[in-house]
Amino acid sequence: MERRKFIQGMFAATAVVAITVPTTMFAEEAKKAAPKGPNDMSFDEAVKAITEGKEVKESDKIKLTVPEIAENGAVVPVKVNVDYPMTEKESVTAIHILNTANSNARCADVMLTPANEKAYFATRVKLSKTQDVVALVALSDGTYMKASKSVKVTIGGCG
Amino acid sequence: MAEARKSMIKIKPKKYKVGDTVKVDFIVIHPMDTGMQKDKKTGKIKPAHYIDNITFSFDGKPFTTMKVWESVSTNPYFSVNYKVTGKGKITVDYTDNQGEKNSKSKKVKPKE
Repeated sequence: MERRKFIQGMFAATAVVAITVPTTMFAEEAKKAAPKGPNDMSFDEAVKAITEGKEVKESDKIKLTVPEIAENGAVVPVKVNVDYPMTEKESVTAIHILNTANSNARCADVMLTPANEKAYFATRVKLSKTQDVVALVALSDGTYMKASKSVKVTIGGCG
Repeated sequence: MAEARKSMIKIKPKKYKVGDTVKVDFIVIHPMDTGMQKDKKTGKIKPAHYIDNITFSFDGKPFTTMKVWESVSTNPYFSVNYKVTGKGKITVDYTDNQGEKNSKSKKVKPKE
């Protein structure tokens, strides 16, 4: 019995050492190594910078197409269609693509004109980890609406 | 180092008439470095290098302008709608944060 206990103890001790030491080391290293991006901006700051504190309504007029699970975070296709007239009187003036967890929350601002006929924009973005992609749409009457969808990222794209 | 970048404008569908709404796709070969990645060979952090301004214009009249940040993927792709009004030329001008300026254009030939 004693021998068995002794061996079990040995295994447990080595296992604990093996698990704890590297993970803590990596965590510390990651903290040190993570450099700040050139345009650090949190999601709330970005929304504030765009809307200047105005209210943003959730809307189902915006059709945001993103994959539910993105295997590679470096290339995530994003497509936005807005069901809203594009005339001289009322139009979509801008589509902003935002993310919630990258170091810079802003991906792209697209200023549209009535010559576009339909408010549509598509691109590919990088996502560092599982997070939401948000489409913030500015209308010509000064109001804003948004739609968001979460994307599960298996491999981060901001290496 | 202002080397000419490979870029491409695609108009979809290929055949269109005056009054049709087409998709104008713009693709450019660009690293879009975030300023947070390490160079695998030297181990140093690569400086940020990304496209920041894009202007789509038709015969000199801009119809869509974009401001872009580093969160957009490497070799970016941008697609917008455009209503064909007649013969002309679509030009895309783009600049990046290191001061490179480039442009690409494509003729618009609507079918009668």
